[in-house]
Amino acid sequence: MAFPGPVLLKRIPDDPAQRKLFKFKDYVATGGYEALRKAMAMPPEDIIKLVIDSGLRGRGGAGFPCGTKWTFLPKDLHPRYLAVNYDESEPGTFKDRYLCDYDPHILLEGIAIAAYANRIAISYIYIRGEYHYQAKILEEAIQEAYANGIFGKPHPGTDIVHHCYLHRGAGAYICGEETGLLESLEGKRGWPRIKPPFPAVAGAFAKPTIINNVETLACLPSIIINGAAWFKSMGTPGSAGPKLYGASGHVNKPGVYEDELGIKMSTLIEKYCGGVKGKYKAAIPGGVSMGILGTDQYDAELDFDIGRKYNVLGLGTAGVIVMNDQTDLVVMLRNIVRFFAHESCGQCTPCREGTAWLHKMLSRIIAGFGKPKDFDLLMEVALSMGIGPGTTICGLADGANWAVKTFLQKFPEDFKSRLKSGQVRGVLLSSAAGV
Amino acid sequence: MPTMEVDGKKVSWEGRKMILQACQDAGVELPSYCYHPGLSIVASCRICLVEMEQPDPKDPGKLVRVPKLVPSCQTLAADGIKVYSTSPKSVANQKAVMEYLLINHPLDCPVCDQAGECYLQDYSYKYGRAESRFEEDKDKKPKKDIGKHVVLYSDRCIMCTRCVRFTREISGTGELAVFGRGHREQIDVFQGKSLDNPLSGNVIDICPVGALLDKDFLFTQRVWFLKSTPSISPFTSGGENIFVDHNEGRIYRIRPRFNQQVNKWWISDDIRYGFKFVHENRLATISVRGAQGEQRWSKTLEQIVRTFKEIVAAGGPGSTALVLSPFDGTEEMFLAAKWIREIDPQAWLMTNPPKVEGQDQVFKNPTTGVVNYTIRAEKAPNRKGAQKVISYFGGNTASIEDLGQKVQSGQVKAVVVAVDPIAHNESQLVAALGSVPTLIVLSAHNGELVQKASVALPVCTWAEKEGVFENFEGRIQVFQQAIAPLERSRPLGRVFWRLMDLHDTYSAAEARQLMAQAGLTDYAKIALPTHQAKVELMQFAEL
Repeated sequence: MAFPGPVLLKRIPDDPAQRKLFKFKDYVATGGYEALRKAMAMPPEDIIKLVIDSGLRGRGGAGFPCGTKWTFLPKDLHPRYLAVNYDESEPGTFKDRYLCDYDPHILLEGIAIAAYANRIAISYIYIRGEYHYQAKILEEAIQEAYANGIFGKPHPGTDIVHHCYLHRGAGAYICGEETGLLESLEGKRGWPRIKPPFPAVAGAFAKPTIINNVETLACLPSIIINGAAWFKSMGTPGSAGPKLYGASGHVNKPGVYEDELGIKMSTLIEKYCGGVKGKYKAAIPGGVSMGILGTDQYDAELDFDIGRKYNVLGLGTAGVIVMNDQTDLVVMLRNIVRFFAHESCGQCTPCREGTAWLHKMLSRIIAGFGKPKDFDLLMEVALSMGIGPGTTICGLADGANWAVKTFLQKFPEDFKSRLKSGQVRGVLLSSAAGV
Repeated sequence: MPTMEVDGKKVSWEGRKMILQACQDAGVELPSYCYHPGLSIVASCRICLVEMEQPDPKDPGKLVRVPKLVPSCQTLAADGIKVYSTSPKSVANQKAVMEYLLINHPLDCPVCDQAGECYLQDYSYKYGRAESRFEEDKDKKPKKDIGKHVVLYSDRCIMCTRCVRFTREISGTGELAVFGRGHREQIDVFQGKSLDNPLSGNVIDICPVGALLDKDFLFTQRVWFLKSTPSISPFTSGGENIFVDHNEGRIYRIRPRFNQQVNKWWISDDIRYGFKFVHENRLATISVRGAQGEQRWSKTLEQIVRTFKEIVAAGGPGSTALVLSPFDGTEEMFLAAKWIREIDPQAWLMTNPPKVEGQDQVFKNPTTGVVNYTIRAEKAPNRKGAQKVISYFGGNTASIEDLGQKVQSGQVKAVVVAVDPIAHNESQLVAALGSVPTLIVLSAHNGELVQKASVALPVCTWAEKEGVFENFEGRIQVFQQAIAPLERSRPLGRVFWRLMDLHDTYSAAEARQLMAQAGLTDYAKIALPTHQAKVELMQFAEL
């Protein structure tokens, strides 16, 4: 375990005053597109093997091994598509935005490498609708890349011409779910698909499709240049490589920081973020859907094993939200559940009705009308939904499930003290229940 | 045949089938809302989730339990698996889904048309919990007038999206869509559009709850008062299988009856709302020209036989004619033709040509091109049957125009006409036959021809009698009597049964035996089909 210095953020200095957008020529001048040239000289199979060997796991949240995902593409079934998941909508997550604010070409180089390795015909960058500024930057970067022959040319040795398009979403969290993204890309309602068939077999427009996160693809150039062993030298055996950590909440210096995987949350907060404002109480490890880390879990290692070790859903996007002891966790949970109720696509009954019910219940508790039995009811409703128990098609409800579950398990007193009778503190407006 | 075990019961099936479909075909109940065998699979209502044990891939002899609940509508049935829909986990999910579906449901069953045939009610009893733990305000959603025949109560909707899939996959018109997101989402039509296609009424049938209701049926009758009689559509040559829902002699609605070979699960709106003629403008009494007061059937029929025999004796064979109607049962037409040929061996036989409206209207799935439904251009149920009867008897046949000339020339002096219930070409008939000296009109409705008749006899509509129709492809299908005949009207077959002085009680089955004895053996054994659904594996939805 040794972190040699910024990999993904090497063009983005710590000092905000010195950050600037890297255009194509600036990017090339700092060693950009070297990796692509090197990759083009390698057989595609070798690149896939290199990525598998590097142990690169998806940075979008689930942590699925990237190279393994590529091998699921059926042989000789063309055209193949690459969908880049830039629908970064998870509360607490802003790493991809930061990356492309200044260094869009690192993503485009990663796309070009992945496209070459997998014989991709079209790459779609599905960008979140609210990221209009980033969309503009990327659009310009794509134009530059076309002008310089990165896109629009056949892959060496084939007649498959590779194109890259930017597709803007319309502002729906569910379109960050991979099959919801594909539906939205096809111009339909972003309702996640039932699987099988999996996207690698029948994805966008019923053709084989790979879906990768922005940060995953941005890791590729450095893997090509420096090799798998170098990549593996960072992080832990199960979680290799550098990682962008987003820190927000009650820290002195919120922002995006890069370090290897597996650093302690306390290290992230104290080394990079200037410590907690006030006294640490709880933190969300990677976007609100992952659940909460307790007061005694300050030193949790931020790697893909965090879920198993610390009773949260997973590392997620490593967008850490830190909360100090002044935080009302009931209000926090209500806000999280409100998000899921608002973003539920409405396809599966448990998620559609359950998230809204949770929100209404928590609103009532905050207004002071909580009852002791609500504790168990919150837990029961939460546990009934998600792909964990198998009751929904996609994982959106798991977010609500884990948030409610871990909040109640790790901070039961915060809730129980609000659920005693005779605690009316306000008026429950019916509008409070409207999401 | 592959076999699986569902809650301890053995279920076998053929081909590729989902667990839920295999169970439905075998008569084993699993709850489901969004699944419809005629539509694509979305697996979104989540009430059909079951626990499952399947052979261990490493050790095929051993069964391992799948850790998650699996949607039975979306999971292929496989040989040797075990399915548990009554295990604690499955039951907990059923209870949870029922609770979720009802938390924002208005529970206005007392004023809801669907009450009594509502899956929410049925499953609430069977799978739900007795009381709600929901103390919050319910979401309120509006009622919407979404189309010519359909009204939408959004607050009762459970978002199964069957209706949306119907308009996309069956009618191919795509008027309906889901709007909004999460618990605020609603079914609606696009702005400025309405649910207006020739199959629109089917969304009412496939709606498992009281969200989509029939404007025509709205608040007219509680469904538990209705009796359903299996019948055949009398409006087109398609031979669509239907149920006639009626109470106390009145028809309230028509519903499709599943028949994979004919109409599948669907009927057109023309059929659904066409039944009104049964209760409108009916001919209620016998009228004999020149006679005053109430006429009796027996006397009138005796008089008809006497008159016809006299005419044939005076004018010789070929001086009478019979015009059949393609709206009557085949056995009735057989009796009519048999009677007139017994009196006049060279009587002219013909059928009133049915109305043909444009071309057959074909409804295809826009993506797969599979034909879902065809509205036939020919608007009569039994032209084939009439043709069969006429060709069986052979001899003199003519068209209506030819008959008109023969009447003008005085060759034909007496005509028996069975008039269509919706006589589209009445003026043509009047022009051809208005001047016949002896015109016997058998009609269910008042009309111009009835006014010209020497004798007008009130007969039954299709709903008041039994018989068989033959559709465009010669499929012989029986329809049953739904309601009692109106006042003095009689089934056409019974009229000729009496004219031939056969023993007193007429039954369509006996008339068919007569046909079978006469060599038309197709009619020996006709019964209601007992359909086993043979459903092909559906595609997954693209919503």
